[in-house]
Amino acid sequence: MTAIEAVATYLPEQRVPVERLGDELGLSTMEVRVFRRFHELADVCRAPGVSLVDLLLAAARRLDALRGSEHRVRYVLHARTFPVVVPYPVNPVHEVSRALGLDDALAFTVTHHACATGLLALDVAGRLLASGGEPDALALILTGEKAFTRDAQLVPGSSLFGEGAAACLASADGPRDRLLAYAVNQRGEFDDELSTDPAGFQDEYPSALAETILAAVDRAGLRLEQIGLILPHNVNILAWQRLCLRIAFPASRVLLDNVPLTGHVFCADAFVNYETACARNLLRPGDHYLVAAAGAGLGATFSAMVFEH
Amino acid sequence: MTTPLDTVTREQVVTTICTVLPRVTRGELAVATEDTRLMEDLGLSSSSTLELMLELEDALEIQINVEDIDRDDFRTVGTLASFVAGHLLGEE
Repeated sequence: MTAIEAVATYLPEQRVPVERLGDELGLSTMEVRVFRRFHELADVCRAPGVSLVDLLLAAARRLDALRGSEHRVRYVLHARTFPVVVPYPVNPVHEVSRALGLDDALAFTVTHHACATGLLALDVAGRLLASGGEPDALALILTGEKAFTRDAQLVPGSSLFGEGAAACLASADGPRDRLLAYAVNQRGEFDDELSTDPAGFQDEYPSALAETILAAVDRAGLRLEQIGLILPHNVNILAWQRLCLRIAFPASRVLLDNVPLTGHVFCADAFVNYETACARNLLRPGDHYLVAAAGAGLGATFSAMVFEH
Repeated sequence: MTTPLDTVTREQVVTTICTVLPRVTRGELAVATEDTRLMEDLGLSSSSTLELMLELEDALEIQINVEDIDRDDFRTVGTLASFVAGHLLGEE
């Protein structure tokens, strides 16, 4: 059973307020005010002059559990929202692997679940490790991207992306943060939804994510009330309030505190929120919690994982 | 100078919605009534309904508690007015 061994994150110190981003992106005053007033987005992190490689390394180097265990790492995965983030032949995941002394690991990128790709990468890593027959083997999952284009800065009417990164060490089996269930709902009809049918996607979003969350809880053999905490994607607060109403889950048990501080940190949200939950002792041994993510781009993906801490 | 309102009646909200709607629809509206459907008749999206809420907050000098708002509340001018009149921050 896939397990999370350790998580570390890096969030740049520089915060950019939504008003300044709105000016840069050419948003109307009303659009910016809606972001702040109803979506409760306030600042996003930015690391100008810091490359994607350095962003990922900043998170990985905070991973104390990696030091001395480099020889156990068989796979390095970079989970990305955007399929293309650097010009060929630059390969950030190979550069990061070399810099960390993980030359023997198989390094590759996972994409096409958009902002839910972080969960896909964890699932893939667990399956690869389980099939390898080495109980001590580890996988390093990296998330985080540069907000380098308009599409990588803004989800119109929904969210603003922030820079940051996370590094997660996973094993095929382990005593804590065991993955109990994974549910994915892929919706190909929302191909290129941001430019052709944003309203259709927004209408479908709450029910599709709700169904996925409930499916993951069911697969874990649990009831929703047994989920102590939801670690969300940090798209915006209003979307989560509506989702909570739909599934009758208290919004107070969704860790939304990072939304105004970081914005939507691509695939890293789940890990950023996990670290916050641990730092605040919100997870006790044996607690069940759920991680949820949704992404849109070339099709839409709704994902949820249930863990036991 | 206007005074911030502690309460607004549903009728005030209906009237105000009809007044501010042209700003949200960019003027593409002749007449709205309580039964006008915000999405089907006026083509409002999730984003533009939030802009409408903000216009209402400005016009009526109120703050709306949106935590409990659902898609059904945006069905017509009337349903939105009912929600707004019953969900003012500072009233609870």
